[in-house]
Amino acid sequence: MSGALVSPDLFTLCKVLITGIMKIQSDAILAGAPVGSPVEPLRGLAYFLMEDWFLTFNAWMIAITIMVTWAAAIQLLTMMWIERKFYSRLQDRYGIMISIWSLPFWPFSWWAKRRNKPTHRGLGYLQNVADGVKLLQKENITPANADSAMFHTAPVLIASSTVMIFAALPFSEGFVIANMPMSLLFILAAFSLAPLGILIAGWASNNKYTLIGGMRAAAQLMAYEIPLLLAVVALLMYAGSLNVIDIVHKQEALLVMLGPIPIPAWNVFSIPQFIGFAVFLVAIMAEMERIPFDIPEAEAELVEGWLTEYSGMRFGLLFGFKWLRALAGSALVVILYLGGWSGPVFVTLTPAVGATVIPIPIIPHEVWFLLKVYLLFLLFVWVSWSVPRVRIDQILNIGWKRLIPLSLLAILLAAYLAALGPALGGIR
Amino acid sequence: MAVDWQLAAFLILSVLEIGGSIMVVTAKKLVHAVFWLALTLVTIGGIYLLFLSEFLFLIQILVYAGAVPVLFLFGIMLTRRKIMEEVTPGEVLEGPGEAPREGLP
Amino acid sequence: MAEFWVNMGPQHPMTHGLWNMKVKIDGETITDAAPEIGYLHRGYEKIMEVREFQKNVVLTDRLCYVSSITWSHAYALACEKMMDITVPPRGQWIRVISLELQRIASHLMWLAAYGPDLGLLTGLLWALRERELFLDLIQLLSGARMNQNFPRIGGVRNDLPPDFDKYCAKITKHFREKLKEYHRLFHESKIFLMRTQGVGRISLADAINWGVTGPNLRACGLDVDLRRLEPYETYEEVDFEPQVWKGGDGGDSYARFMCRFNELEESCRIIEQAIKKVPSGAYRAKAPRRAEGEGFARTEDSRGEALFYVIGDGDDRPYRVKIRSPVFCTMAATPLMLRGNKMADVVSILGSVDVCVGEMDK
Repeated sequence: MSGALVSPDLFTLCKVLITGIMKIQSDAILAGAPVGSPVEPLRGLAYFLMEDWFLTFNAWMIAITIMVTWAAAIQLLTMMWIERKFYSRLQDRYGIMISIWSLPFWPFSWWAKRRNKPTHRGLGYLQNVADGVKLLQKENITPANADSAMFHTAPVLIASSTVMIFAALPFSEGFVIANMPMSLLFILAAFSLAPLGILIAGWASNNKYTLIGGMRAAAQLMAYEIPLLLAVVALLMYAGSLNVIDIVHKQEALLVMLGPIPIPAWNVFSIPQFIGFAVFLVAIMAEMERIPFDIPEAEAELVEGWLTEYSGMRFGLLFGFKWLRALAGSALVVILYLGGWSGPVFVTLTPAVGATVIPIPIIPHEVWFLLKVYLLFLLFVWVSWSVPRVRIDQILNIGWKRLIPLSLLAILLAAYLAALGPALGGIR
Repeated sequence: MAVDWQLAAFLILSVLEIGGSIMVVTAKKLVHAVFWLALTLVTIGGIYLLFLSEFLFLIQILVYAGAVPVLFLFGIMLTRRKIMEEVTPGEVLEGPGEAPREGLP
Repeated sequence: MAEFWVNMGPQHPMTHGLWNMKVKIDGETITDAAPEIGYLHRGYEKIMEVREFQKNVVLTDRLCYVSSITWSHAYALACEKMMDITVPPRGQWIRVISLELQRIASHLMWLAAYGPDLGLLTGLLWALRERELFLDLIQLLSGARMNQNFPRIGGVRNDLPPDFDKYCAKITKHFREKLKEYHRLFHESKIFLMRTQGVGRISLADAINWGVTGPNLRACGLDVDLRRLEPYETYEEVDFEPQVWKGGDGGDSYARFMCRFNELEESCRIIEQAIKKVPSGAYRAKAPRRAEGEGFARTEDSRGEALFYVIGDGDDRPYRVKIRSPVFCTMAATPLMLRGNKMADVVSILGSVDVCVGEMDK
């Protein structure tokens, strides 16, 4: 097995880092304030800096900061960039093309002019940053008749519950803030908090479009939470653990050799879990409010749905967090069904004949994981830009009448095969 | 001085919970009441966490904080009650526009 | 929730132009609807009375900016009947070509707008991509991409440019291939069928009573195409099939979509035939400056039956002009289509009837 870059643990690394920093400071203080000198009381500060609870606290803070920056800034921008670039290509156009040379101030504009560089023919990664800056500059308007307190609470509720997901969502076995025993349940619980915020946002704006949008969002998210959880129940019969890292580890086993290619025992390669996978995929797409299921903000009839009245960065927050939820959703699918961060190992080292084979991690776990997440997200983008959106009654029909029976079937099959699979010759 | 963190957390949670539940019954607007209800349910979950029953806490969040208030709100909005603030004429620049005449197709 | 009125417009992503569709909803179901029009009223019939006959073509171009040539052509036809002049055959054939080019461009604009209505932004960009080609052809023919000012009383403004037939053949061939992509993107998609089939149904009797014309009426199963019924120009020499919904039980968004969509290919056929049949000769007859009498012409516009009634009293400008706009009549029937449907169907229905606010408000 190839290894993870963040190893053994994000928190441990942060602890080592902060201990090192504090040690230097502490030693410096101790050196600068010898016993008996007028600044001797500073020695207390030096001892305080090296206290274990202080270091632990700081290590947690740094771990959380790293994770939030990684997920809510870098990954968010990347996901948005992937989507915008990919659907532009689907639509026969180039899409966003702002590059560093497009910046209209020194030194970039000067350099671009001097080197005669094309100013708007880059990759376009900076476009989302520019959009964010634009939204930051805009005025935050609260509608006159809105319920001001609720109106301002709702974005906080939605954003914080989304960021909460990343407290337990691993990017590899080490790159996770908290590896708790029931992290899957935690992720799903954090996922399920958003409908409340959406409904409150829709109501508090005191606008007919937002109200209808909020109602639609609540109905849709409630309806699709159930098949989502039922599919997870079917999965738990195989995984036997609520810890996402355990679930991934279980999928690293070898299923079958297809000629020279080893096929891992991913959950998607089994009959009941494949049904569950299909259900989960559709349900998570509805949870992300992507296009076939984006009726809560169906811009054709509801302007912008429940976020019509939000403006400025509050709108940006709500709008951008859709991609964060998309990231979390894609990551969840990858973890639960597509083997998480496990990937092929291309180079192995055998120290001696008959000794244990040592894999050389050329491609680390994080890269495999992100690769899978991006590919899955591309699938979502592809689907959402090639189909129209469905109607509210149809979406509920699909949820209640198709997905829930299917997920129940997956549970039944999973229970049956989990109990009798070994006796039936290892069918899974 | 040893601080009993558990006791402090319990006290904070209890205050939030009792305050939230009082607000549930005294709030004028139903949607506000549901919001306070959600807060109360989350704090109950927090108290479960103090009892070291994490599973119960997560289920509490998943079901009671995530689903039940939404269901309540949904129920409220499905009633024939007027839940929108009425715009009184003169408060905004112009009224919402006169209702279309009867007899149109 | 109590029933309430929702304004869809005048500033709303659903409306393709300035008009207000008031919709009364009970939860998600539409119980009543009332279009509110007139935001774009410019008083065309009155303005045209103070401008000379020939100069009015500039105005009629702007009746509907996505279908300028068809409107100006209808006006020119009415004036020619009043002045009693005949357009030379070459002029008539060029008119047929330009009309069909404009019809395709207009229908592509409608298709492009129908995509985002249903949440399919890709449809917009794909349809506009092909519309560019037809606008290029129109530009080659008339010199402008919009508001072409091309039909003239007595003929057309200019002759066909050199090699126009080759360009036409090339682009129509390319377009027929692209139409297969549209098939896959639009009506071979299950979700598209879910959103359009059985939505916004109007019975044939209602449609006739409310004055619905054109593709919207043909979608109800009635074969009325003025190019066939009262052939103007040289349409009787062209082999084409009016697109009528034959599946029975029509009159819904899907039938309207299919009628219009199939007209794209049918117009291609007309262009391909017409470009081969253009005779040599003059393309414009001399039109008198002053005229007396009355002229009446109705043509098959992209959206239905466009009608012009022009009266001249011997002056060099019309005494009275009456315009019948197809969308104006269709708009009156939209509440019938909307009632009982879901709120999301408003866009599916109003998109399928192809609203052009410019000609609706006149």
